[in-house]
Amino acid sequence: MFKYLNHVVISKFVMAITGIILILFITGHALGNLQIFLGKEALNKYAAFLQGLGEFLWIERIGLLVAALLHIITSIYLKLYNYNARPDKYVVKRYIKAKLNSRTMIWTGLMIAAFVIYHLLHFTVGSIQPENYKYKEIYTQNAYSVEYNANATSLSSQDNDNDANIGVNKILYERHDVYKMVVLGFKNPYISIFYIVAVILLGFHISHAVQSFFQTLGWNSPKYFTWIEKLSVAYGYFIAIAFLIVPLSILLGIIGSNV
Amino acid sequence: MKVKLHIWRQNGPNDKGKMVDYNLDNVSSDMSFLEMLDILNEDLILKGEEPVVFEHDCREGICGSCGLVINGKPHGPESGTTTCQLHMRKFKDGDDIFVEPFRSKAFSIVKDLMVDRSAYDRIQQSGGFISANVGSAPDANAIPIAKNIADLAMDAAACIGCGACAAACPNGSAMLFVAAKSSQLNLLPQGQPEKNKRVRAMINQMEKEGFGGCSNYYECEAACPKNISVRFIAKMNRDYFVAVVKEGTKV
Repeated sequence: MFKYLNHVVISKFVMAITGIILILFITGHALGNLQIFLGKEALNKYAAFLQGLGEFLWIERIGLLVAALLHIITSIYLKLYNYNARPDKYVVKRYIKAKLNSRTMIWTGLMIAAFVIYHLLHFTVGSIQPENYKYKEIYTQNAYSVEYNANATSLSSQDNDNDANIGVNKILYERHDVYKMVVLGFKNPYISIFYIVAVILLGFHISHAVQSFFQTLGWNSPKYFTWIEKLSVAYGYFIAIAFLIVPLSILLGIIGSNV
Repeated sequence: MKVKLHIWRQNGPNDKGKMVDYNLDNVSSDMSFLEMLDILNEDLILKGEEPVVFEHDCREGICGSCGLVINGKPHGPESGTTTCQLHMRKFKDGDDIFVEPFRSKAFSIVKDLMVDRSAYDRIQQSGGFISANVGSAPDANAIPIAKNIADLAMDAAACIGCGACAAACPNGSAMLFVAAKSSQLNLLPQGQPEKNKRVRAMINQMEKEGFGGCSNYYECEAACPKNISVRFIAKMNRDYFVAVVKEGTKV
């Protein structure tokens, strides 16, 4: 399977194709996150929709995992290969055109990978702040949501003793309270700042990546390329801002002050 | 004018090599960079020291022999210029000038500033040609070629194979050279029959020689004395993609 690593240009194609898959996912993720500004209902509904995809969710997860692993393995292999192709360094070296983002792709990439592992443990697995992860939104017959530990009866722990309550507080459905989890998570300034730094690195990485995708696959012409280079930088800014605006708004109390 | 030179001295491929300082007074600002090195070597010979070995041939900017890394840039500070066409008026009186050989694993140092660039010749020999039957020259206008295509092929053909692209690249990659040498033929009707085979063979040879891969730094384009665009690398990637899908990677 990893035979392609013997061909440096094919390895570049793998980097470009897995990279664009990850960029498309990140774009969807960023837009999904922005629904927090529409309020609790919109975000939790969206999260429940994603959770309800069933096997499609797992197809997506496995696809992303494969893309991410190939992207990381190939990049490390290429970095070592390229490092080996220029073993002797110059005493004096001045870069004319190679920008900082292009020269630090491996480092920003590895830092982003480390952050993604933390991020998955935090919000997907729920092991970083389990106290925030456990919240559920419970909808009862009289149509308002109450806390999990209030007098409503959970679907899972329903028993006959609470029959008296069912008339008023019969649970119609319950769902994971993502809104509360995110707001409480980001109220911790250390977590927010760590997250903001990581998404700035991600934007920096993407500012080189988008135009690199077009260059590597040869989908450019002099007519469009200045455009593509500008798009790449703009996309990096867009991704970074779309992600960091959420923790920033929570830290500043613009959203989630009622949680 | 006076300059302080810091020159890489290395006795042979296996020597460790180091920077050696030389002071040069009475440098005319009208001298070319190579003439300035000639003066230095005259001095060294008179003193009974070993002169600095550097490669040069036409001194007109077209042969591609005279590659030096000057102050951290291949062919020096002037863009679109070979070392031999760089003049001392581009430097200031009392400047420190660092001179190093082109560095890439595939370019081994022969001595001092001279490197073995025969890896480029082997890449060229692997596919940088068209196969044509001998005989009298074909009619000049037998195959019509659009002006814009001819111009683009000519831009690629401007490559003099000096090695500055691989020297400038942090990965020691020869992609710009291979792209120029494959595109100059792949763009033209005469190059079509062997297009896929050419691009596969040349990239294969490039990998064999130990050149690195492209990370899209675009440093090669900035260092190229003939201003060859990295768009040719994109074109080569596209050609290679099609060729590998059609014919696989085996050469």
